[in-house]
Amino acid sequence: MPGLLGTLNLGARSLQTQQQGVAVAGHNLANANNPAYARQVLEIQTSTPLPTSIGSVGTGADAVAITQVRDTLLDQQVQVEASITGSLQSQQTALQTAQDNLGEQLQSTSSSSDNTTNVGSPGALDSDLTSLFNAFQDLSTDPSSITSRQEVIASAQQLTSQFNQLDQRLTSINDQLNQSVQTDVTSANQLLSDIASLNQQIVGAEAGTGAANDLRDLRQQKVEALSQLITVQSSNDSNGDVNLSVGGQLLVAADSVQDTLQAYDSGGGQLLVRTTTAGAPLTLTGGSIAGTIDARDGALNSLQDGINSLATQLISQVNTVYNPGYDLNGNTGANFLTGTNATNIGVNTTLANDPSSLQASGSAGAAGDNQVALALAQMADTSQADLGNQTFSESYNSTITALGSSLNTVNTQLTDQQSVQTMLQNERSSVSGVSIDEEMTNLITYQRAYQASAELVTTVNQMLSSLVTLGQ
Amino acid sequence: MRISFDNLQNSLTNQMANLSTQMNSLQNQIATGKRISQLDDEPAAMQQVLNLQVQNSQIAQCQQNIASLQTQATSAYNAMSGLQTISARAGEIATEADGITSPQEMSTYATEVTQLIQQGVELMNSTSQGAYLFGGTQNKQPPFVATTDASGNIAGVTYQGNETVPATEIAPGTTVSVLVPGANTTGSGPGGLITDTQSGADFFNHLIALQNDLLAGNTTAISSTDAPALTKDEDNITTQIANNGLVQSRLSTANTLATTQSQSINQAVSEDSDADMAQTMTQLSTTQSAYQAALESAAELLNSNQSLLTYLE
Repeated sequence: MPGLLGTLNLGARSLQTQQQGVAVAGHNLANANNPAYARQVLEIQTSTPLPTSIGSVGTGADAVAITQVRDTLLDQQVQVEASITGSLQSQQTALQTAQDNLGEQLQSTSSSSDNTTNVGSPGALDSDLTSLFNAFQDLSTDPSSITSRQEVIASAQQLTSQFNQLDQRLTSINDQLNQSVQTDVTSANQLLSDIASLNQQIVGAEAGTGAANDLRDLRQQKVEALSQLITVQSSNDSNGDVNLSVGGQLLVAADSVQDTLQAYDSGGGQLLVRTTTAGAPLTLTGGSIAGTIDARDGALNSLQDGINSLATQLISQVNTVYNPGYDLNGNTGANFLTGTNATNIGVNTTLANDPSSLQASGSAGAAGDNQVALALAQMADTSQADLGNQTFSESYNSTITALGSSLNTVNTQLTDQQSVQTMLQNERSSVSGVSIDEEMTNLITYQRAYQASAELVTTVNQMLSSLVTLGQ
Repeated sequence: MRISFDNLQNSLTNQMANLSTQMNSLQNQIATGKRISQLDDEPAAMQQVLNLQVQNSQIAQCQQNIASLQTQATSAYNAMSGLQTISARAGEIATEADGITSPQEMSTYATEVTQLIQQGVELMNSTSQGAYLFGGTQNKQPPFVATTDASGNIAGVTYQGNETVPATEIAPGTTVSVLVPGANTTGSGPGGLITDTQSGADFFNHLIALQNDLLAGNTTAISSTDAPALTKDEDNITTQIANNGLVQSRLSTANTLATTQSQSINQAVSEDSDADMAQTMTQLSTTQSAYQAALESAAELLNSNQSLLTYLE
């Protein structure tokens, strides 16, 4: 039998246990708004009873552990989905930026002359392309007109300038994406270092004592942040470490960073990612780095290639028709467009100073001959074998709508993905999140138990007091 | 399901964000009248709209071409009508001269013919939009130049143009020529208005012959040679005027067709890209109601007394 002093001790330990319960509830409440936090629970265990002749007599309860409520399966799923979301988000950003830079937006335009409403995308390349061919049409109705010639030259300058600008913008986006890959790799390396450091702290903190819950929360947060950048395979060892690898290459083992990521130029200024110790690029399956590279080398590359092919073909075809033509002074043999692609396409500089040197005529000395102007105008409807048997406009439209289609697909995938991720996060919050009502209830429970234990101590104290005065 | 503090907040935030996105999209559709406006809205429809837009622009340009050609055709018609009047008067003079014996009268007629030739040359040097109408493609210089002798009579009229005329598109892939060359002695290609080997017309030279025969009092040549030749010239002019009428009619038809095509394209564009306003307004209204309800419920949950804290003293 424990006796009065034993019961007094039981009351004292109970006070400590309830006090710890209050502390845990308070910690949970303090982290109610922390998304990385997993609620903690105080585990209370009955103390070893004392055997007596009438049976075991209880000795109270002890707080044996503070554990966090986590579902590792949900954590892993959230981590996997974070990679997919990261990839789709970076693709969406890249493609959306490219779409914005194309300047293609349907707008209603009213024509006061015939009271009709049309659609158009003013300022976009297809509009300028059509304007050039229409200017050739105008010239074909009045081939000797200097005004019509100036209009053709101005339209061509506008179009070539638009090609140059668009090429610059797409090149700039490409550069930004490379910069983004570099930044993400730097962030990922920092996270690898942080995780290795946390491994060390956790193993140290947990040696011989309970779980380092808050450090584990922080590490999980870092692993998920890393997963948003790059898909990593994680595994927990028996010491409490999280080991990380990418594509089978070990990056973090226990408390050391075994290898880091490196962005390198694979040629042509396009950055790829490899581990520092390996030469070959990593095959990335998710994360924002993979998404950025996919968008850059996929839809954006196709867009830039398509626009370059269009410019190259335009230069070649227009010059082939234009070159044998004659200007108003009987000269021939000059080219209308200069350059080789969208980067450097331009208009023959002599034309701007002397519109009469525009070779619109099919024969020398015939100012009213419009054969070349007409042939150039009719090129608007001519299918080009090198552009997939499409006209120039059709080729441009199919090139840019291919980008729109890619963006549309990514948008749909991202919407679906966000739903999946939201559901998983809700599921995880449901398990690990803090409920204020629940914690308040726990708080009251511990408070009441504390009050009762204090009452026990008071009662035993009175009994001891009575016992001490018994012999007086 | 256990609901944590996070669950509640995330759910409210996500719902309001989704509804805001939907409202923004619907609001844009109503403001622009367009169901699709960006490339990613509906790529297939967008591609079709962009291609239709190019077609519409080409048709509008063809209509501008037609308007320009109509101006040229009308100017040419006016010149040819004037030429026909001259031709008719020359024919009358040739007929009337047959019964005249007075040299004075013959001389008067010869003077009138000289003036008719000068008038004819002026008409044949008509311009439209700064270009000579009847010089073929050599339209930067007067196509006909008359030379006179010491007495002021027309000694000859030289053609400075060529026999080629420009063709212009009036519909994608369809071209038409509204002009005729002043002369064509090649025996092929478009017929010349003044001189044409195929029809045997040589109007100015025949007028000069009439002028000279009147001055010489050679009534035999007038009746046997000049009058029949002038008849051929008049037939040729009449044929060219008729052709001009046919071309103008073709232009008019092409313009009407272009207008119809443009309307059809606008209709197709509208079907592909326009928002159904009634449906969109209804959707916006529904979404707004849902958004309002979400806001109210959020405010209720976040501010309300529905927490254990309220009941604790």
